[in-house]
Amino acid sequence: MVYKTKKKNLSFQDTIFNLQKYWSKKGCVILQPYDLEVGAGTFHPATTLRSLGPKPWKTAYVQPSRRPTDGRYGDNPNRLQHYYQFQVLIKPSPKEIKKMYLNSLSSIGINYEEHDIRFVEDDWESPTLGAAGLGWEVWCDGMEVSQFTYFQQMAGVECKPVSVEITYGLERLCMFIQNKKSVFDLIWNDEGITYKDVFHKSEKEFSAYNFEYANTDNLFKIFEMLEEETKLLVEKKISLPAYDQCLKCSHVFNILDARGVISVAQRAEYIARIRELTKSIGKVWIESQS
Amino acid sequence: MSELFVELFSEEIPAKLQINARNELKKNIKNFLIDNQIKFNENFNVYSTPNRLVLHIDKIPNEIKINSEEIRGPNVNAPEKALEGFIRSNNTTLEKIFKKSTEKGEFYFFKKESRTIKVYDLLEKNLSEILTKITWNKSMKWANYDLYWGRPLKSILAIFNKKPLNFVFNHINSSNKTFTDKSLEEGLKIFNDFNSYIKFFKQKGVLIDQDLRKKIIQNKINEIINKKNLKIEQNERLVDEIVNIVEKPAVIICNFDKKFLNVPSEILITTMQSHQKYLPTFDKKNNLTNNFFVVSDIKDTKGFVKLGNERVIEARLSDAEFFWEKNKTQNLVKQVDKLKNINYFKGLGSYFDKIQRMRKLSSLISDDFLISKDKIEIASSICKVDLMSDLVGEFPELQGIVGGHFAKFQGFDKEVCLAVSEQYLPNGMESKIPKKMYSVALSLSDKLDSLVGFFGINLKPTSSKDPYAIRRMAISLVRLIVENETKIKLKDLIVYTCSAYRDQGYDFDTKKIQNELSDFIIERLKNYLKEKKIRQDIIESSTFLLGLDDLLKAYKKSLCLNKNIKKEIGFETIAVYKRSSNILNAEEKISIETLGFADPGLFKNDYEKKLYKKINDIRKYFLSIGKDENYEESLKILSSIKNEVNDFFDNVIVNDEDIIIKKNRLELLNMLCKTFDNYFNFSKIEA
Repeated sequence: MVYKTKKKNLSFQDTIFNLQKYWSKKGCVILQPYDLEVGAGTFHPATTLRSLGPKPWKTAYVQPSRRPTDGRYGDNPNRLQHYYQFQVLIKPSPKEIKKMYLNSLSSIGINYEEHDIRFVEDDWESPTLGAAGLGWEVWCDGMEVSQFTYFQQMAGVECKPVSVEITYGLERLCMFIQNKKSVFDLIWNDEGITYKDVFHKSEKEFSAYNFEYANTDNLFKIFEMLEEETKLLVEKKISLPAYDQCLKCSHVFNILDARGVISVAQRAEYIARIRELTKSIGKVWIESQS
Repeated sequence: MSELFVELFSEEIPAKLQINARNELKKNIKNFLIDNQIKFNENFNVYSTPNRLVLHIDKIPNEIKINSEEIRGPNVNAPEKALEGFIRSNNTTLEKIFKKSTEKGEFYFFKKESRTIKVYDLLEKNLSEILTKITWNKSMKWANYDLYWGRPLKSILAIFNKKPLNFVFNHINSSNKTFTDKSLEEGLKIFNDFNSYIKFFKQKGVLIDQDLRKKIIQNKINEIINKKNLKIEQNERLVDEIVNIVEKPAVIICNFDKKFLNVPSEILITTMQSHQKYLPTFDKKNNLTNNFFVVSDIKDTKGFVKLGNERVIEARLSDAEFFWEKNKTQNLVKQVDKLKNINYFKGLGSYFDKIQRMRKLSSLISDDFLISKDKIEIASSICKVDLMSDLVGEFPELQGIVGGHFAKFQGFDKEVCLAVSEQYLPNGMESKIPKKMYSVALSLSDKLDSLVGFFGINLKPTSSKDPYAIRRMAISLVRLIVENETKIKLKDLIVYTCSAYRDQGYDFDTKKIQNELSDFIIERLKNYLKEKKIRQDIIESSTFLLGLDDLLKAYKKSLCLNKNIKKEIGFETIAVYKRSSNILNAEEKISIETLGFADPGLFKNDYEKKLYKKINDIRKYFLSIGKDENYEESLKILSSIKNEVNDFFDNVIVNDEDIIIKKNRLELLNMLCKTFDNYFNFSKIEA
């Protein structure tokens, strides 16, 4: 395989290109990001729903991920309310997945033999997705660069066969590769465009929206409406549109959370409500798979 | 004599699971060998690295001799099919079967000749079963397989007497090969004995033996700290974890910019220990230094590892510093009002509402504790403000502690700061417990407010579910009272908490909450006593009559009786009580109503009079002791009635013909039992 040379550190976009090429060669369907606000690559239906049921599936894609509470108005060198994940999902999990993963690091200029690569226990659970998995976070010289998870349960359903999910935090990975202390100093392309040029303004404005201006009264109402809509679509047994509404619910909840209007205890209740939606969707999806 | 050598190769198994798997494997193989009467070197060991679980036992005989034995078959009257089956399963013929009578009737028998069994065959046949018996605290499935294991199992190497043992374990065939490259799972290599295996890996720098790894890590760390005049905190748990997440440990000393030492040390330590698994260092005065240890799994020949880790901690600490600088100057008092926007719990108002209640409650407690009302009210008002800070958002485990630092920075009274810092302590059975009265008062009011609130909105835990950790809260409450010997009126405090809720417009049923919470807290006290290894019958007795206000008493009395139950004062007390109460219990069935006192005018002899006098002496003792009861002394006094009671029973017949006399004697015994109730109700004690 021919990747861009290692002489110069890879730009942000080249890192993405290389990962896409690498996983494409491994037989993955290279998808584009899902067109809704989600908290992580896992929420893409190509992962959540496709990991359910008996049919084999391999995919890789970039997913912009929104975590309203992580916004810092663009002031913090390590924190963003919007960032990118590179997501790989393979079902059933292949025997040589570790080798595949380590070689993928080589494809973006990290020679695993020169670094302290560690698979550190990190059992993953997504209460809103009713999902759980066992695996690791992968550390490279103490820096978490990926999540590596064997799904055991999704949408409340036991996974059979088991999928493996690999998630690369692209900004962190690139900061490591490019040796940058601030995410905003990342070199985006060969023309010298930086991450700051592309995203600083939006970090600032979205932080203001998430923390100050989002109309919470309306959002509470919207949550109810979306929840109702999801239930209706589940009744109609159309799982994909139902799942879209559920994703929107989840994002509305995240903004409310960022606005600080949901207490610790109330959170549990909202999360349970979203989980119930996901579970009902999972059920409908599974029925369509066998 | 031969050695058994097994290696289970898998993807990286987490430290705790590894330790557990080692113990399981050791136990299972040991049981198997003992059950089959196979001798072995009892000092054998099970080793592990993240990828390899290794069993090595030597001094196992190659053959075992089994003496001849008679095997019983079906009854002679059983259908012919049974006999055929018996013959088949023993691999024999009809000629070798004989009949024999036993106590249970006449049976067919087969005499199995003495024979030798090859241990190799036995192991090959049973290893799969032995591996199946390993239980994991947490396990997973992968791909299409049905096997549950800590992490995906990739290969099994099994050798006995230098020969491979071939068996099938789920989807895996054992062999004499393993992957020498754990990263890529490549480099298959044959090993025929443990020694060459260990040697091979040692040459590659891989230490299979976890104890050896631990020693090497500790030696290296000690060498460096001695040279640099540093100390590390003894943290077995962290060290054990580190030992089990590396196979070729390399200790690297790193440092971060000294400017971060201005951030409260708890924040730095939490970042290093729980987030990064680094070992922080301290100077001789126990101040945190900017040096820390990283244990790498690779020799850092190019310096990448040190550089990388220093960069990571730098990023994490600058994050923490940023928040600390931002949060510490945010005026705590001015922020109190903002707590109105933060819901404490649906149905229990905001955190602002909560601290209003806590303020009232802690102020009432301050009267009992003789501490300053002003100070505890201030502590209550500001104690939850840190929940709104970025730092607690980042380090939820440091809630309270961070608030304490804010308070200190903003010049609050020392005791107030400490109370804020310790408000969540204790947190369950094991955790540290505050000792200063301001801290105890604040923690008590926090827990009481929560308990009353959750019971008020009917979110009591069920036997299987306790999502809000209410049990832990109640256990913490019990500990606060018992371990600090606080003399508070819990019943009143619960009523008062209810009224604080009612003042805010909550429609709480005080009586109901009081009853339910009482039972709940007393149940927790029982658990607590159980934890302290108090006998179950003593636990039951101590909480039978003593109420919510007597948690401390119940605790101390149980402890005291538990300690003395085999000694004379405990033993005799119970014996005397039992002797009297047995008679009463027998009579109760005939139903005689007792008045609660005997009439001395009806006594017929001195034994009755003496016993009566002694009972009254003991009653006087209990009336006089007040709050400073010495429980051992009380037991001693109770047991001292032994002679009077024995004389009474030896010489007096309770069951007198005259029903009035008989009743009076029963009254006397009833008085005695009631007197014993001053300690506690002994009726549930098993003699």
